[in-house]
Amino acid sequence: MTQTTAPVKQAWARRRVPGGPYLLLLPAAVAMAGVSLYPLFYGVRASVTHYLYGREFGYNGLTNYHIVWHDQFFWEAMRTTAKYVICAVTIETVLGLGLALLVSREIRFGGPIRVGLILPMTIAPVVVGVMWRLLYDSGIGVTDTIWGWFGAPPPNLLAHNTSAFVAVVVVDVWEWTPLIFLILLAGLQSLPQEPLEAARVDGAGRVRVFFDHTLPMMVPVLLVAITLRTIDAIGTFDQIYVLTQGGPGTSTRLISIYAYNTAFLDSQYGYAAAMLLSLLAMVMILMVVAVRMLRRSAS
Amino acid sequence: MSDNQSRERVTRSYTRREVIQGAVGTGAALGLSPLLAACGGGSSSSSGGKAGGSITIGSFSDPAMVPFRDVFLKKFTAETGIQTKWHETNYNAWYQNSKTDGLQKTGAYDIYVMDDNWVPEYAAGGAIQSLSKLGLKVNPNILEKGLEQGYWPPKSGPRLKAFANATPELYALVIIDDVEILYYNKDYFPSAPKTWDDIAAVAKAKSQPPNLYGWTARGVAGNPIMQTYLPLLNSYGGNFANDDWSPGFAGPEGVAALERLFSFIPYMPAGVAAFDTSQETAVMLQGHCTAMTEYTGTAHVVDDPTQSKVVGKIDFAATPSQVKSGPAIGTFICGIASAAPNTEGAVKFLEWFTSDKVQHEFASGGSVAVTGPALRDPALAAKYRWLPACADAVDNSIPKPRTPDEPKMEDLLGTELNQALVEAISAKSGYTQIAQKHLTAAANQITAYLKQQGTY
Repeated sequence: MTQTTAPVKQAWARRRVPGGPYLLLLPAAVAMAGVSLYPLFYGVRASVTHYLYGREFGYNGLTNYHIVWHDQFFWEAMRTTAKYVICAVTIETVLGLGLALLVSREIRFGGPIRVGLILPMTIAPVVVGVMWRLLYDSGIGVTDTIWGWFGAPPPNLLAHNTSAFVAVVVVDVWEWTPLIFLILLAGLQSLPQEPLEAARVDGAGRVRVFFDHTLPMMVPVLLVAITLRTIDAIGTFDQIYVLTQGGPGTSTRLISIYAYNTAFLDSQYGYAAAMLLSLLAMVMILMVVAVRMLRRSAS
Repeated sequence: MSDNQSRERVTRSYTRREVIQGAVGTGAALGLSPLLAACGGGSSSSSGGKAGGSITIGSFSDPAMVPFRDVFLKKFTAETGIQTKWHETNYNAWYQNSKTDGLQKTGAYDIYVMDDNWVPEYAAGGAIQSLSKLGLKVNPNILEKGLEQGYWPPKSGPRLKAFANATPELYALVIIDDVEILYYNKDYFPSAPKTWDDIAAVAKAKSQPPNLYGWTARGVAGNPIMQTYLPLLNSYGGNFANDDWSPGFAGPEGVAALERLFSFIPYMPAGVAAFDTSQETAVMLQGHCTAMTEYTGTAHVVDDPTQSKVVGKIDFAATPSQVKSGPAIGTFICGIASAAPNTEGAVKFLEWFTSDKVQHEFASGGSVAVTGPALRDPALAAKYRWLPACADAVDNSIPKPRTPDEPKMEDLLGTELNQALVEAISAKSGYTQIAQKHLTAAANQITAYLKQQGTY
């Protein structure tokens, strides 16, 4: 009996259901389509629709995109966003790498220090905004007190274009340096030690080892960290909305704030969708460039 | 495709690089998808639902609404047997929720408590019902300027082309006549200042920053600084929008009004460009300021010793004049949702709340009622000295342009005003050029925007 059924079982096991793997992927694909593709499709549809008084007033082709292209505030917001992303991500990368190098070695209280360093990242951005708003507030904020110790007048950080911009970058750096730190720390700890030890045996100092060996080996991880952080920083909204609402003037008005105001205060849903789709296209181009750089560095 | 190739494609493992690349690309698309979807405002419709023994009222949170919520809803239930349900959230969230509810006709609410500048959009978009068509009986004692805020198209002023010949109908009914009034400290003003020159003279003579400022204001870009600028603009004879929708603030009147604000810079807190209501009123309530213009919400707390160090010292008047007094009006106003489950109950509530008897009771707690007899009752005026000032201010008030695009117009002008203030604070001179430059820029932006909308 056993001898006759075993080949049958094996045959069943080997038998292939046509399109089986795809069938198994179907639930996940449907879920993905529901939560990702449908909103995307809906956004595309909204971007070619004319809205008036908050209601749809029919298809209007590429008019919204045409307006986006000629909207000085859109480009101004894009420039501010680019400036914000470059400043924040650069500082975060340098700080994150420095901290990761510091903590990757066996040091006293390494565990608690690591936990402490990642704490800001775990706080909701809105709470971060409120917290820093209180710190910066010209009436009750601690910045006034600190300035006062040096005999300086209150800085009114959020009331001037440059200082307000610096202030929001500082908040971003405080909150998101831990993310870069975590990614880079994981990267550092997974580096092969042999080349580093060999370099040290050959008499290379710490700086030489870092620039000639550690940094080149870390490039792929660095690129991943920078890319992820850049995507995230482009969409920054909560803390800036709480802190400055995009002001003074338009000095901290990122594209996310401008799009939000356009959609939800001005009820220009179609125009806001066109704006964000244009942004999506630009982010995708950025991604392609980043991935190519990643490939090149890895090869 | 061969069997081997097919199997390899199904079973092969992915490299770390491929996973990372995929995650990065998917992350970018996923990150922006919800934002895009959120931009797709809809207009699908559903039926209104059944009438019942209760009404649901939604509102933004505001201290002025506390008596309405805590006292008068219960009274209404006691007198009529109709139950009330109350939902409130912050201003921006409620603006979105109520608009979506009205446009999608979900029937979640019967009554929306709104800011009066929402009325054009809600009425034109069909988010609220015409109270005229529902047969709501209007109390003739309601102050006319307050009542007018609920009409669409507006009874006076410029109109959208599409509504040029339409008969105005009442779409929303005022429940609190919120209006800008002058708050002044009697320690520094022997009598109510009449003009901006009076305010400036005291500011110059008495200011000792940071202990005492001659003036404080809201300076944040957009709506906040507009509340500072509008009484100035109106008093100098300018207009936010002329009758043909052209901007009426970039001429000499508007420039002079902004220059007047700049002239207060030495006597205002240095961080005023980042001030909103809370910072502005804190300066006043701490006794660090001689005068300010603000809506009536703060009037309730000036005599509250737990919040104010100037108990009994603050008095109230109409906003100062230059060629006239022109306070901005921003009433709390109620509309009945397009798919209200209990329209009849909602109408009954609005008629009840705006009746003379209830309005008198409302004013008896210091709230800014909407009827003349309640606001001008001598006994109530003796107890709540801001009430007659509010009635005068409503009578002299100048409404904002009645259009769904008013928030955008405010945003454009308010952003330039904030930028002008920041520049003026830094420059400390050249005020005329700064004012002219930014007001002209705002006028050009608004003109271009309205042209692009194509409805003017």
